[in-house]
Amino acid sequence: MIRSFLVWLDDRTGCNELIREALYERVPGGARWRYVWGSTLVFTFALQMITGIFLWTAYSPSAQSAWESVYYIQEVMFLGNIVRGMHHFAAQAMTVLLAVHLIQVIIDGAYKAPREINFWLGLILMKIVLALGLTGYLLPWDQKGYYATQVTTNIMGATPVVGEYVQQIAQGGKEYGHHTLTRFFAMHAGILPGMLIAFLGLHIYVFRRHGIKVHDPEHAPDTTFWPDQVLKDAVACLGVLAVVLLLAIFKGAELSPPADPAQAYDAARPEWYFLFLFRFLKFKLIGSLGLAAGAIYIPGIFFGVLVAMPLIAKLKKGHRFNVGYTWAVTAGIVALTLLAVVEDSSNEDHQAAIAEAHRDGQRIQELARGPEMIPVEGAVSLLRTDPFVVGPRIFAKHCANCHRFNGHNARGRMIKVVDPNDKSAHPVGIVSAPEATDLGNFGDREWMEKVIVDYSNHFAPLRDAAWYQALAEDEKVDDLNPDPEYSEMAGISVEYAEAFGKPENKQDLASLVEYLVSLRSWRGDVDQFNPSLVERGRAILDGDPLADGTEITSCTDCHDTIGEEFEYTDEGSGYPDLAEYASADWLKAFIRYPGSEQFYGERNHMPAYGPTRMTEEELDLLVRWMTKDYSPTEVEEYPSQLHRVPLATGVTNGPAATTEPE
Amino acid sequence: MSNSENSASPPDDVTPDEVTVTPDTTDSHSDDDSSATTESAPRRNFMTQVLAAGIGGLVGLIPAVTGLLFFLDPLFRKKAAGNGDAKTGGVVKDSEGRILLDVSLDALPEDGTPQRYTVHDDIVNAWNKLPNQPIGSIWLRRIDSATPPVIAFSTICPHLGCSVDYRATEGDYYCPCHTSAFKLDGTALNDIPPRAMDELEVKVTGTHIWLKYQEFRGAIQEKVEV
Repeated sequence: MIRSFLVWLDDRTGCNELIREALYERVPGGARWRYVWGSTLVFTFALQMITGIFLWTAYSPSAQSAWESVYYIQEVMFLGNIVRGMHHFAAQAMTVLLAVHLIQVIIDGAYKAPREINFWLGLILMKIVLALGLTGYLLPWDQKGYYATQVTTNIMGATPVVGEYVQQIAQGGKEYGHHTLTRFFAMHAGILPGMLIAFLGLHIYVFRRHGIKVHDPEHAPDTTFWPDQVLKDAVACLGVLAVVLLLAIFKGAELSPPADPAQAYDAARPEWYFLFLFRFLKFKLIGSLGLAAGAIYIPGIFFGVLVAMPLIAKLKKGHRFNVGYTWAVTAGIVALTLLAVVEDSSNEDHQAAIAEAHRDGQRIQELARGPEMIPVEGAVSLLRTDPFVVGPRIFAKHCANCHRFNGHNARGRMIKVVDPNDKSAHPVGIVSAPEATDLGNFGDREWMEKVIVDYSNHFAPLRDAAWYQALAEDEKVDDLNPDPEYSEMAGISVEYAEAFGKPENKQDLASLVEYLVSLRSWRGDVDQFNPSLVERGRAILDGDPLADGTEITSCTDCHDTIGEEFEYTDEGSGYPDLAEYASADWLKAFIRYPGSEQFYGERNHMPAYGPTRMTEEELDLLVRWMTKDYSPTEVEEYPSQLHRVPLATGVTNGPAATTEPE
Repeated sequence: MSNSENSASPPDDVTPDEVTVTPDTTDSHSDDDSSATTESAPRRNFMTQVLAAGIGGLVGLIPAVTGLLFFLDPLFRKKAAGNGDAKTGGVVKDSEGRILLDVSLDALPEDGTPQRYTVHDDIVNAWNKLPNQPIGSIWLRRIDSATPPVIAFSTICPHLGCSVDYRATEGDYYCPCHTSAFKLDGTALNDIPPRAMDELEVKVTGTHIWLKYQEFRGAIQEKVEV
């Protein structure tokens, strides 16, 4: 029955002959592992077709839905991370296999007559595969792909005469937008794979015409493609698949934050197999020649030699030259890639940018998983209104010139100045001392305690500010001098340190702190209070002596609004208003009007951040971040860099140090 | 799937720099006659064939099956319930999925004149959540003597799905598409509709009206939820 059907089919199609030709071609010298590379490439392409078509069923190419659909594939859909991971890593495997295949062909002389045409077909295939990688990189519409692809399209635009038009056609306009995605997607999923199939067909057809370029005919008895070579090919493909699968499962394809044209991406790098070109363009000499020369002409010349290889081979020692050239270029590419990787890994700013992108990427996925999901305006709008993400950016922009946040600029970067002693060409810079207090723990229990018992040291960074030094010189003003003649609060703090430093009064300090932090309107970081401590703290503030009987100056003697509701009035008693100290309302008013009589009056040196310097929206996001008022997060904070910040001038290990728990 | 690309050329195309063919390669048509030079060869060859076919099949099957399971994702996914949160502009629902209408009992005419209202719900569309979207409309009548004191009908005609109007002059519901007509209690006035208008479940607490919004299949006698 089946046999008669096969006979019927063969009569009409001649398929038996085709299959026989495909399977039983001779392999002189026996099956070899060195012949598997072409097969692994075809397999990887098939893998890309399968995973690509399935991804297509869930991908949505538009500026408001591309990142979102990829997020949905990756994080929500069944096995989506595996399918996307396979596609992601197989693309990289394909590039590697392509390079191996090319080198193999050149070493074995398989590019020489009569195989020139097939060699050129192979080079066309290589270009198509690289174009597939490049167009695919943009499709998730994340920061990484967006900014890396911008570079590519700008290079396109640098092509003489036609560049500008080519760029606009590729982008679907002068700017990136919906049509950039629809065009790149059509290229990536339609035009380029179609071309690849067509050229692959030709490549295989011509390959069959000439047969395998036998490396060593005496290696083993002749055999046929099926099954000996097929087995080796299949095992090699299994190896490729295993590597791709393991990477997909254990590493996973990254999805950086959604593309935001308004938010520069400092960690932008092309996919690793284009890193050599990226590094090449960074050479000063190359840069001075212009983008077109570095990115188009010079690589064009290198490629031109590759194209000319079958002709060069006709010359005396031509083949030797070709092999030498191949190894030299390969070594150059490997060296440039390694150089780029090593430089990036030792570049602190780049590592910080990567860490920030990773943090933002995790946070946006957390928000997208939340009950409100993603609004129709796209995930980027979630990111722009999230205090956890935007707060540090505002801090870094407006506050980090003087303040620090746990030693860094709130975005994980150190603030540095050029070391005058560093005479090298590229000074690394040294971490500069802050000129105002570190705000990493602003308003929490630790902060309150330090203000009370270690005032002079807590605000010591002020001594390094130019204004402070000028004042101290001219008028002998020293706001931090514990001598009460100069600074009332610094003096009282010494008294507190002494009183609270006694072991029997330790609990009273904790009570006072607990009471002060409990007075604020809601803050995200401190919202659970110990009621008995609060009660005791209130009593101390009202004038009760400490446990050992010491009577201390009450905070309310000067800061007479403690315990009241905060309201900005622009009127003051000469002492900073500490009603609801460190609450969102207090902080907002303080940032807007630090020089108000209600706060520091004439003694203030912090610039006021009025609505023209910082919009209401920015202020709100900054303050919500500093008071930890955002949806709960599992994303890790940047590690503290306090240990790297130089100690402020005049920090003493005075009596305050004894109250430190460590 | 992709293992056939390496098969070689017609034998007459051997280039001079390559070694000539061994004589035993007569045109092959059965599986194991090509390299059978020793006695153990057929057996080894069989194993090679099984392995080659097995591994070749496996590398194709793994991505295909993974992809297929990914494609079947909708079958593993329960309909995401739009849990309302009024604070964020969402719709308020009770535990049984009844939607709190934004019309109160007092706002309905006491004489029982039908009022048309648009029902809103939060729509979950894959990764998007769209709060408070219109999902359909209803006819609401206040009948103080009944329990609950409100009756609600879907405006979708049970005949072929057109929108049923209220005719104040006739005091009935009327569908302009195929002239279906219904009494105010929803029963059919002619033979065109297959059943009475589709009544929707209503609960009244104080002046709040809670409605379970459903749609039903048209053109059949039974009331079957879509």
